[in-house]
Amino acid sequence: MSQIDDSVSSEAQGALDFLAEMGQEFSSTPDLDKTLLKAVHLIAEYVKAEAGALFLLDKNQKYLDCVASVGPVQITGLRLNADHGIVGNSVQQNSGYIVKDVEADPTFNKAVDDKTGYKTRSILCAPMGVKDERVGAIELINKRGDTGLFSDDDLNLLQVLATSAALAILNARMAEQLVEQERLRRELELAAEIQRSLLPNISPEDFPVHGMNLPARVVSGDFYDYYQLDDGRIAFTLGDVSGKGMNAALLMAKTASLLRCLGKAILEPGALLARVNEEVCETVTRGMFVTLVQGIYDPERGYVRFANAGHEPPLVLTSKGEFFTIPAESPPLGISPSLIGDENFPEQEIHLDGGALYIFSDGVTEGYLAMGDELGAEGFKSLVKKTEKKGVFSLLSILKAKILEGDRPLRDDVTLLVVDDNISVKSKRFERGFVEAGPTVSLGEKLMTIRIAARPDRLRLVRRSVEETSKFIGFGKNDVSDIVLAVDEACQNIIRHAYKANEDGEISIEIRKRDSAMIILLRDYAEAIDVSKVKPRDLNDIKPGGLGTHLIREVMDDVNFLSPPFDGGNLLRMVKMIG
Amino acid sequence: MMEYEVEERSNTLIIRLTGDIDLQTSPNVRQGLMGSIDKGRPIIVDLSGVDYIDSSGVASLVESLQTMRKKGKQFILVSVSEKAMRVFQLARLDKVFTICSDLDEGLKIVKGE
Repeated sequence: MSQIDDSVSSEAQGALDFLAEMGQEFSSTPDLDKTLLKAVHLIAEYVKAEAGALFLLDKNQKYLDCVASVGPVQITGLRLNADHGIVGNSVQQNSGYIVKDVEADPTFNKAVDDKTGYKTRSILCAPMGVKDERVGAIELINKRGDTGLFSDDDLNLLQVLATSAALAILNARMAEQLVEQERLRRELELAAEIQRSLLPNISPEDFPVHGMNLPARVVSGDFYDYYQLDDGRIAFTLGDVSGKGMNAALLMAKTASLLRCLGKAILEPGALLARVNEEVCETVTRGMFVTLVQGIYDPERGYVRFANAGHEPPLVLTSKGEFFTIPAESPPLGISPSLIGDENFPEQEIHLDGGALYIFSDGVTEGYLAMGDELGAEGFKSLVKKTEKKGVFSLLSILKAKILEGDRPLRDDVTLLVVDDNISVKSKRFERGFVEAGPTVSLGEKLMTIRIAARPDRLRLVRRSVEETSKFIGFGKNDVSDIVLAVDEACQNIIRHAYKANEDGEISIEIRKRDSAMIILLRDYAEAIDVSKVKPRDLNDIKPGGLGTHLIREVMDDVNFLSPPFDGGNLLRMVKMIG
Repeated sequence: MMEYEVEERSNTLIIRLTGDIDLQTSPNVRQGLMGSIDKGRPIIVDLSGVDYIDSSGVASLVESLQTMRKKGKQFILVSVSEKAMRVFQLARLDKVFTICSDLDEGLKIVKGE
């Protein structure tokens, strides 16, 4: 007995070693086909077969494809019907199959042998499957040795090996799926990252425009944007693309980019939306559309002018604490360019006068609260009221907390944009200095604009341009000289203090005539300077520094540093009244 | 673009500036003035050819004036154009400098007449 025990245990040990080796093979090689070939090879060796083949069921389970074979005849690529033949039956019945002697089996199909010239004498076939999941089968041909015939023991052994091969194949397939899923997830993450980069950076609390976007999925179909124009006004956008997911996100990226790019050249919201609508209509597919509000806010005077393409009506909270909404006057973008024709989208203008404007996607009002109720328009209003005194950041964080409070996933992207004129009224950043007459955000006529290297040897050119423009506007001789001096001095300050004499910088100068004022905007692209340090000199102290700033203030009716533009630099506005 | 001429007459340096004095040219003007100051003579700066002067040009003149005062020498501006005069006025420096209508008047002051 002890001898038999020894032989059994050594045989079992051999099988275990073999299985371990095969498992190792499967887990260490990413190429499944190569691994399968190695497995067939190992199994055929182990069972001492002359030839072996591994068949896998195709996706529809109709065919068995030979994916690996070893032995004198290569049958890799051979396709068998999955419902008959030795291999087919073995798979269908989920049982091992043995033809000890082909000569004695009338059902044996000699066709393959006739084709290959190989003499089949004995066949083993074991199904590969785990529980109900069928994978395929392994077939071995001809035992090595004199008789060439397999025994029942051989079949038992093959069945064990086939089962573990099936496990290994299923594992490998699952790993492949995981890798693919991980790849898709990573791609989605990257898409979301790019999408987030399309949103503006968080602005300081005393900046009048703020926004928030919470995507319902990884990517969002909503977007918002705001940026400061060279003249100090702030352009803003909030849009909602129909649908969620990747297609909405891609259309969102396109629309946001178009607005960002065209928005710097087209300063009329109605004209901008008309232009973007044309572009979106040209490429939009399957009934997708974009609802959108785009506008321009003048922080100095508290006016907002905007166009609304089919979006939720923006909400206004007046400085007296009253709410009103302003419904859209035109259809969403992407519906049809001809709906509007060649006309621009209609614009609306409101004087915030210390109040605030709220533009939001329906994800805000339709957001679920902890109890499962929607926030609703009234809920949103009461949040606005509650946080009125605490500022925009407080509103954004409380809204976020409320909507994310429940365990439910967001049903829609949540996006909000706030234009708070109250901040502008209070903020030092937006001192309401000089206000011209007339309730319009119009900038007047642009008469001259140059962008020029910030170098001393360019100042003469600047002076000549400003001189001619001032004469054109109708200023008298002395005023013309004063204006030329002021612009020259302002440019010097930029060259010497903002760029610190680094000659790679540039200065943009724009001159406009609005009503009875000449407005000169000077922009540089250097690091923001500390405005509080720009002071006219004390005239008793006769030293060069500060004299230029003093001269500017002497000759101009209004001199203001506007809030620094987002992309850096400084923006100085000088106003000279005509007559 | 900027010309700088020095003439010596009755122990006085007469400096004639021609062109725009701005951030580009004022370093040369300053250098010239400092060189002339070193000669230790009274200086008359003739600004008849200067149509434009900015704060950096004014600063060079202020610096010269201060240095000359320390040396106890006279520093006089003459023939200041209307435009340049406007800048001195805006800078409240029109009373700080000795400004004469023309060169002869300047020379008279130097001679103590």
